[in-house]
This record gives sequence, C-alpha cells and structure tokens, in this order.
Amino acid sequence: MTAPLLQARNLSVDLFTVRSALRPVDDVSYSVGQGETLAIVGESGSGKTVLNFAPIGLMPTGVVTDLHGSLRFEDIELVGLPAARMRRIRGGRIGTIFQDPMSALNPALRIGRQIAEVAELHLGMTSVQAEARALDLLKLVRMSDPESRLRQYPHELSGGLRQRAMIAIAVAAEPKLLIADEPTTALDVTVQAQIIALLKDLQKRLDTAIVLITHDMGVVASIASKVAVMYAGRIVEYGSVDQVLLEPRHPYSTGLIAALPRPEDKAGTLFRGLPGAPPIMGAPQPGCPFAPRCPLVVDYCTDVRPPLAPAPTGSAAACHVVNDVPHREMAHA
Amino acid sequence: MGTLIAIRLRNAAALLVLATLLCFTLVVSAPGNVAVLIAELRTPKATFEQVRAVETELGLNDPLVVRYGNWLGGALQGDLGVSYKTGDHIGPTLGSRLPVTFTLVAGGACFAMLLSFALGFVGALWPGRFGDAFTRITALLGASMPSFFVGALLIYFFAVKLRLFPTFGSAGFSSWILPWITIGLLPAAVLSRVVRVGLEEAMAMPFALTAAAKGLSRRASLFRHALPNIAPTYINALGAQSGLMVVGAVVVEPLFALKGVSDFFLQGVLFRDFMVVQACLLIFLTFFIIVNLIADIGIMFTDPKLRRQGGAGT
Repeated sequence: MTAPLLQARNLSVDLFTVRSALRPVDDVSYSVGQGETLAIVGESGSGKTVLNFAPIGLMPTGVVTDLHGSLRFEDIELVGLPAARMRRIRGGRIGTIFQDPMSALNPALRIGRQIAEVAELHLGMTSVQAEARALDLLKLVRMSDPESRLRQYPHELSGGLRQRAMIAIAVAAEPKLLIADEPTTALDVTVQAQIIALLKDLQKRLDTAIVLITHDMGVVASIASKVAVMYAGRIVEYGSVDQVLLEPRHPYSTGLIAALPRPEDKAGTLFRGLPGAPPIMGAPQPGCPFAPRCPLVVDYCTDVRPPLAPAPTGSAAACHVVNDVPHREMAHA
Repeated sequence: MGTLIAIRLRNAAALLVLATLLCFTLVVSAPGNVAVLIAELRTPKATFEQVRAVETELGLNDPLVVRYGNWLGGALQGDLGVSYKTGDHIGPTLGSRLPVTFTLVAGGACFAMLLSFALGFVGALWPGRFGDAFTRITALLGASMPSFFVGALLIYFFAVKLRLFPTFGSAGFSSWILPWITIGLLPAAVLSRVVRVGLEEAMAMPFALTAAAKGLSRRASLFRHALPNIAPTYINALGAQSGLMVVGAVVVEPLFALKGVSDFFLQGVLFRDFMVVQACLLIFLTFFIIVNLIADIGIMFTDPKLRRQGGAGT
C-alpha cells in the first residue's frame, strides 16, 4: 500500500491575533488517500476550517499562525514550507472551494478571466490558451451557455452557477486534492444536491481526493468515504462513513447523529439538542473538552486527556469510557 | 448603459443652466453701480447724464430677465461681454488664457495620479513597514501644507538654490514642472489615501483569499484583483480633486506668473470687474460639471454592476 496523499500527524495550530492567542487545532492526526473523500464535521468554531486552511497559508490578513506537528502532502512537508513553494502548491496541486461563492469571486473581473488566471499561473498557458481552457472547464462543471458565461461578472450569475465557477477555478490546474469548505452551505437545497453530484463526478474523472468541511450529515452520507468528527479543536472520532454514521462510539458523535430530525418525528417535535454549549476557544485544556456536556462523564475525564484510540472493531474514538480504559491505569498516567 | 449616460448628460445640462443663473445673480446683486465706475474711467468727474448714457449703453436699465437672456445668448456665441476695466472683449482674452489653465490642471492631475498610485502601492505592498509610515507622513504633509507655501518652498529650493527650473513664467516644459507639483501635491496626498485604504479594504475581502488560494503572490493579488475594485472610488475622487484644482490655480497661477483663467479671475475680483468675474466663474463651473460628467462615465465603465444597467448585453 502506498503512502496516503495527505497525512497529518499530531498537527496543532496556534493563532495569534492582536489581542489573543488560541489553539483552535489541538494534536490532530488523519490521512486522505488518492481519490478518497474525508469529511470533517463539527459545529462552528470547532476548528475545522483552521485545520485545513492554516497549514496551506490561507488565513485572513492580520492573523499569525504557528504550526506544530506534521502535514505531508505528496512527500512534501507542508508545515514550515517556504511561502514561495507553498504558492506553487496552492491552486496547482491543491484546489480550494469556499463557502460563499459570491464573496469568494472577484466582483470586478469576468468569470473567464478568474478561471483562466489559474491555468496561466500553474499550467504555463498563454492567455488565449487559458481562455480556451476556461471554456472547457465551464463545460466540465456543466454550466449552461458556457461561451457567454465566460464574459459575465459574478453578480450576473445565480448562487449555484457561481459555485460552479468557483469549482472550475479550483479544478483548473487538475489538483490532486480539493479542499471544500462548506461548499453547499450558502446554496438552496435543490442546488446543494447538484453541487455534491458535480463534485462526485469530478472526483471520479480527475481522480482527486477531497477534504470536505461540513456540518451537514446528509452531505457526509452522500459523498464521504471517511469521517473525522471535530470538537473544540480535536478529532473526537475518526473512521469510515458507515462506522461513524451508523455506529458512532464517541458520546459527542452519538449525540450529534441522534440530534438529526427523523421522518418518524411528529410535527411540532422539539429538536433533540445536546445540553450545554461548546467551550470558548482558549488555552489547551488538560482533560476531555466534551466532559462538561457528556452523559457518560466519569471523574478523571476532566483531568486526563483521552487519546484517539483505534478500536478492534468500528471507528477510533477519543473517549475514556467507550474505550473502557480501566480507572486505575488512568490514575497513574 | 446608454440610458444612464443620457441621464447624466441631461443632469449636466440642467446643472449648467443653474450655474449660469448663479453667475448672473451674483454679479447683478454685487454692490455699487458699474455705470459710475465706467463713466469715471472714461471721464473723471463724470456727470449724471454721462452715467445715464453708460447705463443705457450697457443695457443696465433693462429688466433682469432681458439682461440674463442677452448675456446668455452672447455667452453661447462665445461673446462673454466687455471688461469694465479695459473695455476689451472677454471672449478672446479667455481663449488665450484657457490653454494655460488647462495645461496647469491637466499636468497637475497627471502628477497627482502618478504620485498617489506610487505612494498608495508602497504602503499597500509593505503595510506597517517604513515605506507605509513614510507615505502616510508624506500624505499628511501634502494635505496640510497650503499650496502657496509649497510653491514658495519649491521655488526657493529647486529654482533659486539648485537652479534646475525657472522661477516663473511659461517657457517650455521645464517651467511647468514646479507649478504641476505645487497644484498636484494636495490632490496626490488625498488620492494616495484613497489608493492605500481602498487596496487594504479589497485585500481583506474574501476574494483576496481566493486569489491566495489560486497561488497568486500578494503583489499579483494587489494588481490583478484589488486594483480593479478600487477603480470606481478612485475615479470619483479624482474627478472631485480635479475640480478643486481650478480653485488651487487661483493661488498657483499668480505665484508662477502664469497668465491663466484663474489669474484673470483674481484680477477681475481685485478691480471689481464683474463681467470678468462672471465669465471666469462660468468657465470654472462648466469645467467642474464636465469633469464630473467624465468621472461619472468613467465609473460606469469600471463598475461592472453599473456597466450592464439600462442596456442589457452591451
């Protein structure tokens, strides 16, 4: 078996803004093979966007990040990679799709130019060749009337078409990895299904791996092969999509999946939420961050951090109780 | 888009009519009897009859509407009346002075554009560094120093000390350099902030993150992605600043002994030559309206959301 396309080992991200320092990603490990789809799920603020964008240098201006651990992509260590080499990977080997295609596209430039730019930069094309490639890409993402779309501006397209244009930009240089940050969240429900179908189709054609950041379990079920559940900057459960969605082990994943509305729910039924609120991001905590909300909590949960332990059957979960670690052993740790 | 331009043209025309009314009202309501001034200029100790004769000659006893009509009709044919002071026709004098003011303002605007982009980009390329601080201070100085002071400093240093440029007059290209810098420094300072702040705002937008995700360097993002987004704002500010430069010319033209419209205007004001004042004001207002019209059309061409309005598919 060959090495995975993307492999994170003990990756941590510290963020420094003018006022504060936080650790939104804390000791995270995962891997994505070629052509595979990893879904990273978690609520807002769980660190899933920072986990994916900080290592490739895509943070808003004014935010300083500090990375620890390792993130290897195609035998290149991304942690500590010089900015100039990172730029050749971004857009070329790694494509990115953002949540809101309206603001992610430049309002003052034509769609065709925004796509062609990537082909010029990474495939060394002339502007004429790149415009032709942009047209091919618009056909690839199944845009209606691609010739006239090339000359249009973002505000002239609907949300779904804009996201298709964004996807065309992301795949313009045939990347080996696509990072999609909630690609369907800003879209209508009917358009969401189309975009997911398009992503699956492109993945098959281009043999691209996808890291999909989402909080939509429906999206996870329809496209992902592996799932990582994040809570407060950590991966609390990691396994195949069947394992995590059908037999979740970590109490947080269990609660998350139990919270989904079901067809048999009567009209007017209250949402089944998790009690409590997620922790405010701050300094790393010694114990399990989910302990204050956990129905299975035992006394040492708040003191000893549970490792993400692989189980003989099923997914890996970071929980003392479900992994059935003897109490005495933990007391000595 | 065609419709939008038509609307702007109509508004500009309406503004021009208002401007003529304003000029006329200003002069009519000025204190003092012009006829007395002129009659005394011709014959010292003019009699009442002589003054009456001048009044009739100039049509000063006609109803205001008739006087306005006569003046406007003449103005449309290039006849802006006769100077009270010299008795010369104002039209030809203005004709010879207009190119001077135009060269001054156009050159100043070019200088302001060059300097503002240079300063703005230095700040945006290396934010928070020495260059950024330097351009901020330059902008602050440029915006707070009055142009007569700037001009005097420039003359003292470059013309008197270094003998690089003539101190005044209009003899070839080199004599224009100092006036252009003097009149263009204030707009350059204001516009450099427009560039700097505009670029900074654009670079904080999500599409700048997309540009980074494409693998573009910060410099490439600034030029290809941020710059097109500040174009409408910049053109708007440039239009306003160019209009204000005519006002600046009132100071700069006498300073460099340039025989332009603003210099003529100043003389008119000093000698209460209201016909000259009126004509110059009309020229200034017309210039102001035309510059703003051009700026509006420029904004339409650079803002894609406006470009497609009113004429789909153009």
